[in-house]
Amino acid sequence: MRHQNTTNALVTNVNRLAGMRRRVVGAVTGIATTMFLAGCATNAPQDTWKPKGPNAKIIDDLQKPVFAVAGIIGVIVTAAVITAVIKFRDKGQPIPHQSHGNPALEITLTIIPALILTVVGVFTFRTVFDLAKTSDTEMIINVTGQQWWWEYDYPVQNEFGITQPIISSGQLVIPAGTKVLLRETSRDVIHSYWIPALNGKRDAVPGRVHLNRIEADKPGIYAGQCTEFCGLSHANMRMEAVALSKADFAKWVANQLKPYTSPAENTLAKEGEAVFMNQCTRCHQVNGMKRADGTPVIAAPDENLVSGAAPNLSHLMSRNTFAGATFDLLNTTCRKDVWGADSESFGAKYLSGVSEDCLNQTDLRGWLRNAPAMKPMYANPALLASTGGKYRGMPNLGLTESDIEKLVAYLLTLK
Amino acid sequence: MFSTGSKYFFGISFLGAVSFAIYMFLIAESAIGATALLGLVAATALLTALVISTRDGSKDEDGFAASAAAPTASILPLIGAIGATLLLVGTITSPVVTLFGIVALLAALVEWAVLSWSERASSDVAFNASLRKRLLNPIEFPVIAAVGLGVIIFSFAQITLAVEKSVGAIAFIVLGSLVLAAGVLFSLRPSLKRSLVTGICVFGAVGIVAAGIAGAGVGIREDLVHAKEEGHYMHQECGAEKSKYFDKLPLEGVSATSSVDTHIDLIDGKLVASVQGIAGEQKTITIPRSNATNIVFRNMSDGEYRLVASLGSKMVTADVKEDVVQCTQLIPQGSEQMLTLNIPKPAEAGKPFTLTIPGLAGQSIEVIVP
Repeated sequence: MRHQNTTNALVTNVNRLAGMRRRVVGAVTGIATTMFLAGCATNAPQDTWKPKGPNAKIIDDLQKPVFAVAGIIGVIVTAAVITAVIKFRDKGQPIPHQSHGNPALEITLTIIPALILTVVGVFTFRTVFDLAKTSDTEMIINVTGQQWWWEYDYPVQNEFGITQPIISSGQLVIPAGTKVLLRETSRDVIHSYWIPALNGKRDAVPGRVHLNRIEADKPGIYAGQCTEFCGLSHANMRMEAVALSKADFAKWVANQLKPYTSPAENTLAKEGEAVFMNQCTRCHQVNGMKRADGTPVIAAPDENLVSGAAPNLSHLMSRNTFAGATFDLLNTTCRKDVWGADSESFGAKYLSGVSEDCLNQTDLRGWLRNAPAMKPMYANPALLASTGGKYRGMPNLGLTESDIEKLVAYLLTLK
Repeated sequence: MFSTGSKYFFGISFLGAVSFAIYMFLIAESAIGATALLGLVAATALLTALVISTRDGSKDEDGFAASAAAPTASILPLIGAIGATLLLVGTITSPVVTLFGIVALLAALVEWAVLSWSERASSDVAFNASLRKRLLNPIEFPVIAAVGLGVIIFSFAQITLAVEKSVGAIAFIVLGSLVLAAGVLFSLRPSLKRSLVTGICVFGAVGIVAAGIAGAGVGIREDLVHAKEEGHYMHQECGAEKSKYFDKLPLEGVSATSSVDTHIDLIDGKLVASVQGIAGEQKTITIPRSNATNIVFRNMSDGEYRLVASLGSKMVTADVKEDVVQCTQLIPQGSEQMLTLNIPKPAEAGKPFTLTIPGLAGQSIEVIVP
């Protein structure tokens, strides 16, 4: 009887182990399959394998053969290790004869990787120098990173119709087929600018100017992401490069240079302008805005923010995103329409901007209601002693629903 | 179960844990502090476990026998008491006093704790003393040396600040010669009595400290007091003429050349800008708002010139406006100097920001801040 019980317990344990093994194998297979299938995703705007410009193509031309070589070596090494583990596993056999060293084998195994690395190194150096070329630049844009958004300012460049500096944020608008040089720097910590479809990464470092050349083959939107950990909302520091045909780019420039127009009297937008002037211009600039007495409204972000700058909201509704490109200004339907447009029709759709019908009311109102609740920021007034009372990002302004209604109406006029 | 050494480390571990809890609940502004305290707790907890497992590294029960012995007399409790008093006095007088109090208190606590622990390590007094030395001497010697050196340097600085500049130079030469002579004497006569060497060193150190105290009593010499009061060394004088203080010994080279946004060159009386990444000479430069931007001025013209940045004006009080001007020193031909501009707001309409050379009409670079 006792012997029977022991046998039953043994069988139960063996079955339990077998079940556990099946579950582990199943889980590992499931994870591996999921990861493999994730590589087939079609909606992957930051795919490094789909270059859309010459510089990204240069990188792609290097990374594909290197990846292939590395992949083959990886498979060979993995197969060798697995074979060795299975074939020579402990089956109670005696320990085989031990020998010390095999000069011929060791030299071979040193020379082969060295040769492979040399070949990869030669092509890598050539790529690095090709990417560093800036002498044939056609257009300059200053790019400044700060927690957690990117600012773009276009110096005067008459050949592109930029007769006065243009300043924008979130979306970098460039003419397609044009060699654009980004002069990157940062106002606070180190960031890194990366739009995979157009070029590799380049750090934006305070006090330094780093050059990054991009060019888009065709009109379209190309997504990117800050790739240097830069604080609480690093993951939300996104950017989009918008490439327009040269004709459409000229239209965009002309629109950006349009002078400010105050909303008509006795409208909700006019009331919104007053709210904006009282609340938002402490940090946000709208070029051309004037007070009732005719004096220009100059924002003072340097007095309120650690970085000393907040996005310039002139022509806000000509952009498709806000809050460091974290949120869309367009609702889902209109966004799909712009992102899904072919290169011929893209420009017209993008240039139409954000209408009231297309506005993403939910996110914009949510942002105005309580920005730190939507994007993590060091915006707790009780914890600002170390920054001298200055915020990192937008605080909760405590706006009323009525104020928000008016502000939305006003912001919609900033086309 | 707990050995003598383990109690010591356990005590630190416990205090660290309490500090961590207080820090997290009451302060919690930085993860660095929390990480440091948690690291301390983890490290001392590990040491506690190690010391318990090895029973203080003892093979026998000597340590327990020694615990019955009375502790030796020590001045450390007195130093600790003085530290605690200074700490309290400092809270109503000066933070520096508090700092001295904290340092004295911590030093006394550490020394006393290690002394108590070492005295109970075994019944062998000599071994216990060597244990204390082995643990504390690597900390004590560098700290005492640094503090001693700091006191001597500070005392000597008081002497040179009090006397005339030329007298200060002579004092420096004399003191240096005496130190050198003493060093030569000690090396040539290694058989000198230890008491004599110690006496010479102590006499020299006490002499300098005494002279320093006397110098501090006399106070800083008059011209330095005037220069400080009038801000000679801080106030930039940006005119064409040479400033007595600001232009004294101008720097003629820039080392941080990799962080330069723009070079402003004065070539044969013509002012041009070369902006990184932009081909050709520029007459306007665009720099981001509220961002430190480095500009290097290179004088390649015959004569001494300075670069002046005129950056509008700012309100210094509710109704007083002041021009914002920055400039380099007056530098000779072939020299270069850096200006770091950080402009928080765009220029007012019709009043552009400019870079100019005083005394050189018609040469200007416009600075645009979008």
